[in-house]
Amino acid sequence: MADDAGRLYGKPEVRIDGAAKVTGQARYASDEPVANPAYAYLVTSAISRGHITGMDLAAAEAVPGLLDILTHETVGKEAKPPVGPDQKPTTTTLETTQVWHDGQIIAVVVADSFEAAREAAHRVVVHYAPETPSATFDSPGAEAEVRKTDEQHKDPAKGDAPAAFAAAPVKIDARYETPTQHHNPLELFTTTCVWDGPKLTIYEPTQTMYGLKAAVAKQLGMEPADVRTISRYVGGAFGSKGAATSRTVWIAIAARRLKRAVKLVPTRDQAFTIATYRAETRHHLQLAANRDGKLQALIHEGWEVTSRPSSYNVSGTETTARMYACPNIATKVNVVHADRNTPGFMRAPPDTPYMFALESGMDELAHELGMDPIELRRINDTQTDPVDGKPFSSRSLMKCFDAAAAKFGWAKRDPKPGAMRDGDWLVGYGCATSCYPSNIGPAAARLSLTPRGKAVIQLAGHEIGTGAYTTVAITVAGGLGLKVTDIQVFMGDSNLPPVPVAGGSNNAASTAHVAAKACEEIRQKLALAAVQNNAGIFAGADPSKLRLTDGALAGPDGRREPLETAVGRVAGGALEVHVENVPEGLPPDAAAGLYQGKMAMSRGTGRKDVTAYAFGAQFVEVRIHALTREIRTPRIVSAFASGTIVNPLTAYSQYMGGAIWGVSSALHEATEIDLREARYVNDNLADYLVPVNADIDHLDVIFVPEEDSRVNPLGIKGIGEIGIVGMNAAVANAVFHATGKRIRKLPIRIEHLL
Amino acid sequence: MELTLNINGRDHRLSLDPRTTLLDALRDHLGLTGSKKGCDQGQCGACTVHVDGRRILACLTLAAAVQGRPVATVEGLAHGDKLHPMQAAFVEHDAFQCGYCTPGQLMSAVACVHEGHAHDRAAIREHMSGNLCRCGAYPKIVDAIEDAAPKMERG
Ligand code: FES
Ligand code: FES
Repeated sequence: MADDAGRLYGKPEVRIDGAAKVTGQARYASDEPVANPAYAYLVTSAISRGHITGMDLAAAEAVPGLLDILTHETVGKEAKPPVGPDQKPTTTTLETTQVWHDGQIIAVVVADSFEAAREAAHRVVVHYAPETPSATFDSPGAEAEVRKTDEQHKDPAKGDAPAAFAAAPVKIDARYETPTQHHNPLELFTTTCVWDGPKLTIYEPTQTMYGLKAAVAKQLGMEPADVRTISRYVGGAFGSKGAATSRTVWIAIAARRLKRAVKLVPTRDQAFTIATYRAETRHHLQLAANRDGKLQALIHEGWEVTSRPSSYNVSGTETTARMYACPNIATKVNVVHADRNTPGFMRAPPDTPYMFALESGMDELAHELGMDPIELRRINDTQTDPVDGKPFSSRSLMKCFDAAAAKFGWAKRDPKPGAMRDGDWLVGYGCATSCYPSNIGPAAARLSLTPRGKAVIQLAGHEIGTGAYTTVAITVAGGLGLKVTDIQVFMGDSNLPPVPVAGGSNNAASTAHVAAKACEEIRQKLALAAVQNNAGIFAGADPSKLRLTDGALAGPDGRREPLETAVGRVAGGALEVHVENVPEGLPPDAAAGLYQGKMAMSRGTGRKDVTAYAFGAQFVEVRIHALTREIRTPRIVSAFASGTIVNPLTAYSQYMGGAIWGVSSALHEATEIDLREARYVNDNLADYLVPVNADIDHLDVIFVPEEDSRVNPLGIKGIGEIGIVGMNAAVANAVFHATGKRIRKLPIRIEHLL
Repeated sequence: MELTLNINGRDHRLSLDPRTTLLDALRDHLGLTGSKKGCDQGQCGACTVHVDGRRILACLTLAAAVQGRPVATVEGLAHGDKLHPMQAAFVEHDAFQCGYCTPGQLMSAVACVHEGHAHDRAAIREHMSGNLCRCGAYPKIVDAIEDAAPKMERG
């Protein structure tokens, strides 16, 4: 009967938190009321490499309202060093005098008002012993190393790729680059800390309630039980809030010193250096095929920038090696250490940059072959993982291409580059494959049901814009046979049962399965009590045949017992269950780890039985002005097949947002780096370009139906990340089609098309 | 300094640092946290409110500068439990994801209609381009405004 949880799937539901969001009542972390807070302002380093030799605080201390200044001298020893997004060593902040990168936190000024804290922070004078920094690839002093393989990162390989490449009749050999990008969620990286005796409460937007709690407890040497994180609404995340950052412990320490709540709302430019970003990447891609288009060799080598102490990398070759049938594959990834902050997860971290290379390369190969790019994908489509021979749990790639191509009008495309024109505009059509691995993790939840047919589910989930409150409510309403409006959902509080990090598109699947399991446990309890009760209508019946439906416990013969009776029999106020769900393939202790902030995950590429990915097809029309070379994207069509869709209304928004991110990553977004100073130059929302409303015109998202009983019991593949993947290549391919110019380095700007 | 701000039809007496922006006065001193801070430098639109019925950026406006002038924020849009037609349209069309830009989008959207700029999609897109939505809800924001505009005019 667990299937009942999916009863309401696929029907559009408005968000249960919609009213809160449109009335200003939704509380983001910095909106939470705290009594009498002091205000913190960060001082960040003005050099990118070297040491602090001294700080002159007199002028800052003279500012009226100043309360405290935290520096490496006053508090540096009070926290253990942080870890990076990969849970390994990363850059430090106040722990020592060392400066690892520009914009590193080096002091925290606290005052009675925001205005006083800001003024005092600007009056802190810092003396440095600077050294020459290395900014990025090719900078003198940047250190490259081959990324070693471990459980997280493999180098997929098979056959003899170099020999096959040499022997094949048609080939491309190309190098691609993607830029540094910052998430720039609209909400800033705020932190508010409040102590109550030994207990610390942290209000901070996060994608990992338990991860943040565990990280702060560890750094401060506290019991995790004494740390509570609260984050009921997150104002955009995209990966940037997926791991703890350095700022939190210093705000906690500031609040402890003052015995007063301390609130930090950092600036937008600080957001570029106190959190993570998508590192710039380089790719060398070699593809070879027979004249019929069948791939013979794929060789993909990547390079990624990281900080000095961290080897964080995304290694998207895991995905590119699996996209198409190919007998000979070789992959390799290198990391390049520079004087930069440590990068981290950003929307489809591996797939966005690496699929740009592969999907551009496929377009180039199609051109070499004189073949339609969709047909090239069709010829090399496969239902079997080309690397390890496992079946894909499901793969509807060509269905996505066909649906999107029909809607887009691909048939009207004249394949010759530069052949399509509309007045002064050169017209180009481009397409690319999209994909994202399907992940699921363990999760826990508490569910209660009252005799009046109202349910409350509690779990430390994350609403980062995905509609998480609503998808959980839809599952519970289905599972308990109630209406969505009968369900209350509490999330965003680490006092609630844990769920995994809201990243890697696992959360819909992870939370739906635990919610479904909780509903099933309630059904079982009610059914068992009903059949054991001699006076009830179900006395002696088979409990497995009783379902919860339309506010009643119902038998197969249509007899119904109202919840009032069924629940009232076992509980006066409410029947409550606490459940944990561990997906197949994960060790049983995965649930225990969850409470300690450890995230076991069943990943789409690491499974024993199948390889699990969602697939899609991205289509875009670009128009390039013949004289000015202005680039517009008047039409976007994306089709995705991601298994079960819980809520098509919010799913559409996620796919659409992803597709817009994809166009943005092709044409708008790049963090510019001053190569001499290793400093981000355009660290604000006017100079870091993101699309505005006028940039996005017609956009269609197509849901390609797909049932997948192998990916997980409810057939849910994630959708948050896939929307962006491949779109950057689709745009570049369309630019080639419009102009005959192949742009292999993003973003594509007017000056590249002159 | 001592000052009185008129927010959503009510007077509030406040004692503020003269450098306090309208946005910080609302958020930190009046507990009206609906208006959001996304950049604090006039680049994102998350802090959009109405002063004298016109949309302005609260992060670029000193609180002291709007004394005696009516200020309207997202908290004042609904009538009790009854959502403003623009709010209802945003919910109906799912014109947001994270919701962080939404208060600013709503205040701009209402102004966009009042300014007479909601007559077609291209005009709406142009006149809503001062409000960034990093979640990329733009097409649905346009849908919501197209839907709400006639309802607003009917009152
Ligand atoms: S906070 Fe005012 S425009 Fe961004
Ligand atoms: S809804 Fe997230 S920024 Fe617009």
